[in-house]
Amino acid sequence: MSGACQFDFIYGGTDMKLHDSAIGAVLVLFGAWIVYSALGFPRLTGQPIGPGTFPVVLGALCTLGGAALVVVGLIGRNGALVTLHPGWRRPDRFATAGLMIVGTALLAVTFETVGFPLGGSLLLAVLFLASGRRHPVWVLVAIGFVCTVHLLLTRFLQVPLPAGVLKGFF
Amino acid sequence: MLSHLSEAIPLVLNWNMALVMLACSAFGLFVGAIPGLSATMATAMLVPITFFMDPVPAIAAIVTTAAMAIFASDIPAALVRIPGTAASAAYIGDLNAMTRDGRVGRALGISVTASAIGGVFGSLVLMVAAPKLALVSLNFTSFEYFWLALLGLSAAVMLGTGSILKSLMSLLFGLLIASVGMDTTSGYPRFTFGIDSLLGGVAFVPALIGMFAIPELIRTFVNRDAVPPVTPVGNPLNMFRGVGSLLWRNKTGLLRGSTIGTVIGILPGAGSDIGSWISYAVSKRFSKTPEDYGKGTEKGLTEACAANNSALSGAYVPAMVFGIPGDSITAIVIGVLYVKGLNPGPMVFLTSGDKIMAIFLVFLIANLLIVPLGLLAVALASQVLRVPKLTLAPLILGFCIVGSYSIDSSASGIVIMLVLGFFAYLMEENGFPVAPAILGIVMGLLVERNFVTSLIKSDGLALGFVERPIAAGLAVLVLLVWVTPVLMWLFRRRSAA
Repeated sequence: MSGACQFDFIYGGTDMKLHDSAIGAVLVLFGAWIVYSALGFPRLTGQPIGPGTFPVVLGALCTLGGAALVVVGLIGRNGALVTLHPGWRRPDRFATAGLMIVGTALLAVTFETVGFPLGGSLLLAVLFLASGRRHPVWVLVAIGFVCTVHLLLTRFLQVPLPAGVLKGFF
Repeated sequence: MLSHLSEAIPLVLNWNMALVMLACSAFGLFVGAIPGLSATMATAMLVPITFFMDPVPAIAAIVTTAAMAIFASDIPAALVRIPGTAASAAYIGDLNAMTRDGRVGRALGISVTASAIGGVFGSLVLMVAAPKLALVSLNFTSFEYFWLALLGLSAAVMLGTGSILKSLMSLLFGLLIASVGMDTTSGYPRFTFGIDSLLGGVAFVPALIGMFAIPELIRTFVNRDAVPPVTPVGNPLNMFRGVGSLLWRNKTGLLRGSTIGTVIGILPGAGSDIGSWISYAVSKRFSKTPEDYGKGTEKGLTEACAANNSALSGAYVPAMVFGIPGDSITAIVIGVLYVKGLNPGPMVFLTSGDKIMAIFLVFLIANLLIVPLGLLAVALASQVLRVPKLTLAPLILGFCIVGSYSIDSSASGIVIMLVLGFFAYLMEENGFPVAPAILGIVMGLLVERNFVTSLIKSDGLALGFVERPIAAGLAVLVLLVWVTPVLMWLFRRRSAA
């Protein structure tokens, strides 16, 4: 077993591989922006340094590292600009991953108003359905799990999780 | 420290602690036994709950979970040939070979016992070394702390498993995240884009939960790997038959594995995975039959398993004494210690000696618990391993959302978790390890504060950074960490030519 294979389960492998040169170019721009922004921070009174000193060092290193990555990528000529895992080409799997990200973002935005019991149950139920768990029992699993977690955290650990529209029930 | 022992015992031996440790053992064994769910992820998911506990039970929860998860990762390695963590990947060849030969019970028996012995060894070293090191470090100034922090970050970059350049970029990313928010010296807001919730910086726990859990969840939804067939273990009680005599015959190797693991764990930035790999390599180097390694050797397995858990304890030495994490798990612990008012550093040994001693005792108990609970975990493993990750994924997401919110009771934590989690996914898929970024987030403020303070003290002169003897020694160590791999690469190239 090669070293790369041994760590595929942690470092992922090639599910969404971008070309090293492209990543390097982004890092060069990002580092340059950091340096530019940090140079605009005020200095400490009577000192040549200030809140921008450390970010300037980091930004400069980021630019240099990014440039090195561009070179490494160009020398390596490691294939296409973007290499996708076959799973990303399957509409159902793409949709499930997308639902997870968009659904969580929506839940974050509406967390206080909709509340965790309703929002969380909806998100989990949709994810179960999208990942092929079509039996109605999975909707009950989602509701049961979210309500149990909500009650445990709010009653026993005093975490102020918002009940939102279901405030009267929790 | 002996005076603290009598005060520490009641803090540890009570029903509350027993319940916490048993519950966390079960949680750690469950998560560790599921391939792809790491010990760090288990620990990160636990953090929000620990915030509502007293300091000692909170740390006990993390220590117990981590110790159990690291051991439990050997179970899927043996039964379905997928290592649960990088640490058990070092000897997966031997575990597989023993499973094929029908010796799976014995393999897991060796793993359980060696892990427990290594863990106890590391805990004893921690109990003896940490207080002594704390006394020495009372003389440390910003110069020494700066170099020490740099040593930890350098080790994380240079000793990691991926490309050095990508590890360095990952570290810079983490340090830059840590610089978001109000500057601690001047109070000037940096990179906040006018968002009020960023003034206090990027919340550590949501970042941690996101960076470890979200990539795994995305992969689970996209890849949908099938559950591999599980090899039956047989009667778990037969696991320990003959293991005692084997370990006695291999006592030198067991001691060597435990020592290597502890030393590597103590090195800031290097954790149990590196300890396990190096220990396995050293065992092979000293073996009279190196050709047997990877084909079911019990000696290599013993040493690497001992190194696994001893490194976990060793990593707490720099974490407790200097506030510098030895690995990702201790990075989490440092965050919890700060929240609990037990700010890691030499002073905590003087001000809260009883609590520190209690935490050390927890290490001992957690590692001893591996034997009975490990037996139970192996007995139940066949059922646990049949649970598809796809079924667990939405539930894990639920925990992540609640955990990220509950730190500050703010939905911005969920956004941080999601954004950094997606970044971490892209990073991992492109060979950028996440661990250096986590270390960067945790140590960013420490590095910057000591860097700026040292610059002010030395009037901006670089020479001031190496004028004190310990600072100069640490600077040389940092230089060695950076130069040695280059020299080794040149040497190998010359030998090959």
